[in-house]
Amino acid sequence: MSENTSARSDVTNLEREGEIAADFLEKLLDIADLDGDIDVEVDGDRASVSIVDSEEGQVPRSLVGSNGKTLDALQELMRLAVQAETGERSRAMLDIAGHRAERRSTLETKGAEAVARVKESGEKVEMEPMSAFERKVVHDVVLAAGLTSESEGTEPNRYVVVLPN
Amino acid sequence: MLEEALEHLVKGIVDHDGDVVVRHKDGRRGELLEVRVHPDDLGRVIGRSGRTASALRTVVSALAGGRSVRVDIVDTDRSR
Repeated sequence: MSENTSARSDVTNLEREGEIAADFLEKLLDIADLDGDIDVEVDGDRASVSIVDSEEGQVPRSLVGSNGKTLDALQELMRLAVQAETGERSRAMLDIAGHRAERRSTLETKGAEAVARVKESGEKVEMEPMSAFERKVVHDVVLAAGLTSESEGTEPNRYVVVLPN
Repeated sequence: MLEEALEHLVKGIVDHDGDVVVRHKDGRRGELLEVRVHPDDLGRVIGRSGRTASALRTVVSALAGGRSVRVDIVDTDRSR
């Protein structure tokens, strides 16, 4: 198989993951009589599914929950539903009402602030505990700023440490 | 609506979706949703360290809008 064909079939698989996930969520919204539209896209090497406000009404924020707890639970169930169909572990992402997108931009700002403090003081900075996905966002910001970082502590209190060069 | 929603979630993640039964019970300790699945699917519905069961409970309580609803996953191997 050429590299192109393999890349294309990866995208096809991710599109299929997204469709299975969207069907699963669509039916849940239907049963629970909740408003919301479902968007599906392929974002790099993952399927990405979003439930967004529809013209009829807003998707209830209770589906995000405090600190995104309900969103994480729904994402977990969505991935398992995809896995039950495809037989492969899924890394599909779910966002609801832009919660993750907003959180990402907050984390990028915090990462940039930590980088600035490290560059100014020449000393390492320890950040607040974050989930694996959130730490990845911060690590990427730090790397792009030309510094290095690592994770310390144990889940669920694992946190990023930004290191001076 | 809640038992139908829970049934949909559970059916989505198991192999034997025809064997999924969710019953709603009103007891002294409040509302209860009892989930029965094929014995081979029990591990899947509970998940590693109960992670999947806990996700199901979190989503059900969000859908219940603050009402307290318990979710019991019945080990049919033992209760039969």
